[in-house]
Amino acid sequence: MASDSSDMEHYFSIFKNNKEWALSKRKADPAFFEKLASGQAPNYLYIGCADSRVPANEIMGLEAGEVFVHRNIANLVPNVDLNVMSVINYAVRHLHVKHIIVCGHYNCGGVKAALTPADLGLLNPWLRNIRDVYRLHEKELDQIADADARYNRLIELNVVESCRNVIKTAAVQQSYEANGFPIVHGWVFDLRDGLLRDLQVDFKTVLADVKKIYSLPKE
Amino acid sequence: MNVARLAVRPSVLARRAEGTPNVASRQQPLKSPSRFLQLPHGSPVADCCPRFFSTSSALCCENRRTPASADTSGTKTETSQDRYSTALRLNKEWAAQTAKEHPDLFPTLANGQQPQILWLGCSDSRCPETSLLGLKPGDVFVHRNIANIMHPGDLSSGAVIEFAVQHLRVQHVVVCGHTSCGGVAAAMGNKQLGILDPWLLPLRQVRQRNLSLLQSLPPEEAATKLVELNVREGMDVVKQKGVVLNAILERGLQVHGLIYDVGSGVLRELDTEDSEEAIKARLTAFATEA
Repeated sequence: MASDSSDMEHYFSIFKNNKEWALSKRKADPAFFEKLASGQAPNYLYIGCADSRVPANEIMGLEAGEVFVHRNIANLVPNVDLNVMSVINYAVRHLHVKHIIVCGHYNCGGVKAALTPADLGLLNPWLRNIRDVYRLHEKELDQIADADARYNRLIELNVVESCRNVIKTAAVQQSYEANGFPIVHGWVFDLRDGLLRDLQVDFKTVLADVKKIYSLPKE
Repeated sequence: MNVARLAVRPSVLARRAEGTPNVASRQQPLKSPSRFLQLPHGSPVADCCPRFFSTSSALCCENRRTPASADTSGTKTETSQDRYSTALRLNKEWAAQTAKEHPDLFPTLANGQQPQILWLGCSDSRCPETSLLGLKPGDVFVHRNIANIMHPGDLSSGAVIEFAVQHLRVQHVVVCGHTSCGGVAAAMGNKQLGILDPWLLPLRQVRQRNLSLLQSLPPEEAATKLVELNVREGMDVVKQKGVVLNAILERGLQVHGLIYDVGSGVLRELDTEDSEEAIKARLTAFATEA
């Protein structure tokens, strides 16, 4: 069975949209792409959710070249995930980003799924990380009577735990020790008004806390 | 749990205690462009960094540039913290502007997502998928990693593909590589890179399988060729997944390969049609049933 024609129209239209976008960039700055072709020097690494409603550059109001991006289901930073660990390593050690942002969002389907007793096959091991976040904060979460409020709080705590996992890496600890950056931040995006909320993760405090057990100083 | 230790602003918590819309509903897809348009013909994709292979860092260009927009905003003199605050300020401006231009967008987004496209691309800052596709929030489900590599056993991209194809039922999966890719440059070199080495392994496997072809090309062309071969490899890995194979058979899911030229901003579609023989072989080897 082939896709219906409207699907294909949508797909092909992106090439025209892309050309229009490239043209508009060139119009605003004739050297825009020329400058990009010579290399990237983003200040930010953004680790966010794969959700289509949360496009990194748009919500941050940033241009091509300004933010290095990793997106996965529910903005997780699992300790043994080679994918995200490679991204952090590259962004910190080779691009020397100044800020790492972990950005979650309310109405996150991944977090919702992790709150639901259901066997989702391949997704189970990935989403289990979120259940672990619940377990770490079980007391606090269980005290929230309202289901929506509890769901939202888990979304926030999941971001904070991901920040913590970023800070556990040797790349972040050693770069901060040597250069004073990167700083790790936790954000939540609200789909209802398009606004970002800074969870005010206190980087220095979390770093000191993490280092009690996870310190990985340069030899 | 010690809330203070996590240092989360109480006002944020209070806000969260208010009710939120029902997240389970998935009606109201976004209005999408519907004009039928021609594919562009191949655009030049040879704008690789001229210093690709002569730098001390195997991974990226040494001539690190200032982001394009920074030239006019005076961010060169900003401190690190200023830059950070800038992003939060720009978000407020974006949200206000978007709400003005598309008053229905945010209320619709709060009800759920129904993207038609899954984008599997590179983390490179020069490849912002939704912007360069000219699309809006809600249109593209996204996974981006170093050098858009699809490891067969990678749970992260595996979970993304599973969720997008099985649960969101996207119509198109796009694997997109780009010119001037730092990961590809690294795999064309032979420098030890620690944790990045196992991640880049599939690129080296492709390099090995195509060694004589790559060695016959000038360095920049060879790098662009490896970008293309990596996209084809990624498409193969995607199409080997049971969930994707079934969606292709049952509802016409399409898998595309694109190259984005960072030097011109233009996307080029690769000709990736499989022979009947290749399709048969793939189904025989990879199709599975419950």
